[in-house]
Amino acid sequence: MSMTGAQGRIGYEGQEKDNPEPPPDPNTGSDATDAAPTEQPASWFLRAREMNLGLKLAPVAIALLGLGLFLYYRSLGLGTTAPSSQTSALEWSTKLWPQLTQHLTIAFWSTIIVVVIAIPLGIALTREPLRRYGPAFVSTANAGQALPAYGLLIIFLTLMGQGLTTVVVALAVYALLPVLRNTMVGLDGVDRGIIEAGRGMGMTRGQVLTRIELPLAVPVILAGIRVAMILNIGMATLAFLIGGGGLGVTISVGLKLQQNEVLLVGSTLVAIVALSFDWVGAVAEKYLRPRGV
Amino acid sequence: MNSILEWFGYVAERYDDILETTWEHAQLVLVVIGVATTVAVLLGVYVQRRPTLRAMSLSITGIFLTIPSLAFFAFFIPVFGIGNRPAIVAMILYALLPILRNTVTGLDAVPPAVVESAKGMGMGTMRQLFQIKLPLAWPIMMAGVRIASLITVGIAAIAVLVGGDGLGSYIQSGLTRLGLPNSEFSVWTGVVFTVLLGLVLDAMWATIQRFTTTKGQRI
Amino acid sequence: MSPDAKIRLDHVEKTYPGTKVPAVESLSLEVYEGEILVLVGPSGCGKSTTLRLINRMIEPTGGRIYLDDEDVTKVNADKLRRRIGYVIQQIGLFPHQTIAQNIATVPKMLGWDKAKVAERIDRLLTVVGLDPDTYRDRYPKELSGGQAQRVGVARALGADPEIMLMDEPFGAIDPITRDRLQNEFLSVQEDLRKTIVFVTHDIDEAIKMGDRIAILGDRSHIRQIDTPERILAFPVDDFVRDFIGEGSTLKGLHFETVDEHVTLEPYPTMHVGEDPTAAVARAREAGTDWVLLLDDQEHPTRWVPVSDLGGGSTVSSDSGSEVVAKVSLGATLFEALEQMLISEAAVSPVVREDGSFYGVVRLTHLNKAIRRARLEAREHYAQLEATS
Repeated sequence: MSMTGAQGRIGYEGQEKDNPEPPPDPNTGSDATDAAPTEQPASWFLRAREMNLGLKLAPVAIALLGLGLFLYYRSLGLGTTAPSSQTSALEWSTKLWPQLTQHLTIAFWSTIIVVVIAIPLGIALTREPLRRYGPAFVSTANAGQALPAYGLLIIFLTLMGQGLTTVVVALAVYALLPVLRNTMVGLDGVDRGIIEAGRGMGMTRGQVLTRIELPLAVPVILAGIRVAMILNIGMATLAFLIGGGGLGVTISVGLKLQQNEVLLVGSTLVAIVALSFDWVGAVAEKYLRPRGV
Repeated sequence: MNSILEWFGYVAERYDDILETTWEHAQLVLVVIGVATTVAVLLGVYVQRRPTLRAMSLSITGIFLTIPSLAFFAFFIPVFGIGNRPAIVAMILYALLPILRNTVTGLDAVPPAVVESAKGMGMGTMRQLFQIKLPLAWPIMMAGVRIASLITVGIAAIAVLVGGDGLGSYIQSGLTRLGLPNSEFSVWTGVVFTVLLGLVLDAMWATIQRFTTTKGQRI
Repeated sequence: MSPDAKIRLDHVEKTYPGTKVPAVESLSLEVYEGEILVLVGPSGCGKSTTLRLINRMIEPTGGRIYLDDEDVTKVNADKLRRRIGYVIQQIGLFPHQTIAQNIATVPKMLGWDKAKVAERIDRLLTVVGLDPDTYRDRYPKELSGGQAQRVGVARALGADPEIMLMDEPFGAIDPITRDRLQNEFLSVQEDLRKTIVFVTHDIDEAIKMGDRIAILGDRSHIRQIDTPERILAFPVDDFVRDFIGEGSTLKGLHFETVDEHVTLEPYPTMHVGEDPTAAVARAREAGTDWVLLLDDQEHPTRWVPVSDLGGGSTVSSDSGSEVVAKVSLGATLFEALEQMLISEAAVSPVVREDGSFYGVVRLTHLNKAIRRARLEAREHYAQLEATS
């Protein structure tokens, strides 16, 4: 009657290649009670209900990391006892802050592109006549998890040259599949009985989509967007490889100079950013889900 | 079309080396999955019926998965130095959530009536676990392993940035020699073989799952 | 064609693409204004498909569909559906909308103004037995199965459609609640007089809900369509007989009532304080072993055995045994039979509305009634055959 647990568990469907879903058999006619699809929204990022604790735990983790980073940063003695290479690598106003804003800009635009492309595409792939291509996209999304972000970025570098645009496009391509997949799974997860009732009352296909299917799929789609956002923040760390900047620059400087201090500051800062945005995403998921669901 | 054929030529020339590097990559993944599965299954069995611990362990492993990989790898360099080790440790932590999550879910999915009747026949806690619960939860647990494996294959390509092995080296050598002959082929080799490795390992897990699941559970 | 046919299917067909055998084959059917027509048949016979052809949830591949003599086979299906109430087994309440929003769905699409919609919501909730103030702003997940189904019915009634289609509406509800919902729905229908097509696989539900029943076989072929009493009295073939199953005669007793058709016999009665000799004589004459003792208001109170009346003494108010079983005029013969089975004297006393004694029902009455019903049904079908 209601939607299958939208926040879902770690999905595994679509990987069960040995039992493909049987196509609907028109011979059985209408009397075959249509078992509601129990497909779980599938992504390795989705959290179950008890992950609500994560909502409370994450801020604590973020605060601790932030405090630790702050104290550690101050103890380095930048500009005084620290080596000058370290001081220049970790300067806040000329290095860390610009890298941070660059990092977020990259992640922001690629997430926007993903949303703008993946959601309409996901809608189209759950409608006739494109519906039958849907499963292929879901399996591709599954296999796509093995796609090395690093390699994808370099491929786009060879295709489009250096720069921010390349980074944003590469990230968008990488993060497209989870949102596409969640949009499709979310729409498909809407109870057939509910759609049947809507159609039976004389709603047009468009009305059923906008008033019933999309609102009910919101939690799953949001979860997909959150995954995309986190993937993008993560991948933006590699943007430095093709001259896109971001906080990865600091990490790479740390690697090059073999200075653990620089490495630690860089990676902790990235972790704080990722965790913060993930937390914001979780809160948004919680409050944007329609009431009653 | 032409360049695809050329790429095949490139691959054919370096066949041995590519396979060896793929094997290195596979080893990284197998070690990670082996350790992560052991830890996550033990943890999952322990926390499944303990709500607070269960929520805590799921949240914490969830936090791991949120941290960008390069940052997470770099985080362990001060402790483990440059090389495979920081990458392996970080990837183990990444792989925990999918397996833990599915272990817990799989155990949840065991019908209470089945456990009840096992108990009623006088099965002890351990016997219930090994004869009833784990076999029934196995397909879902394996699905978690497969997800973890796919993720790890992709992430392991970054290990090269912290001095590790694997197919990332083809991507990196392509990047450093960008513009020189064959550099693009090198990148493509890294990407294609990483994805192929992911699919091969996935098929392997699927086969293992098939042969370790009783007929009664195959749908 | 009957003049008051509200819905008319004319050789309607549905063949799914890629199949040769039609799911529904050349079906012609009329549904009269204000009646409940039940489509019943084994699973897979196409009864649901037939129902969904009427509101064109499934598009027919042949034939015509008329509502009020208007051909709706090709009109805009969405607009058509807004004129037809639709209730399904899964109910399909919109989980993200309140009960009020759910009920308002069709009225809003039809552009009703807000005040009218609000008033309508409250009225409908009252009609289906839910307190508007309590339930209006709840979400579907806060309802029990029975309450959700009531809301489902209220939502289908939203824009006051003249026609309702109901596809196993009570199928997923526990037996006790189902029975209550069926009764409530029947009493609502008594006021509303909608034209209803009702699908079920349960012959007992069909008998209970239907003014007429259509028993469908493969490909939605109508094997028999008639009132439940005639179908029970005269199943036309083995398929129908098998489908009705055991006890059809007993079920038929539901449709015979204790009234002028059942000529009731007098029964020896007496009052407290009356001379028993005359009563004994009356009992002898009637050939009974019992005398029914009435009180001052002529209410039957006790069964007194004739053997107790021998001594010439007057009867007191505690002679014999208490009358535990009786039926009112207008009760069904099924109820009368039940009372008869537990009655001391193996007959069921019948009382008028004021409780005064009217007569008794005996087994022979039931037997006669059933045989008369069968005869009537047989004659009806003989006549049908003669005219066609």
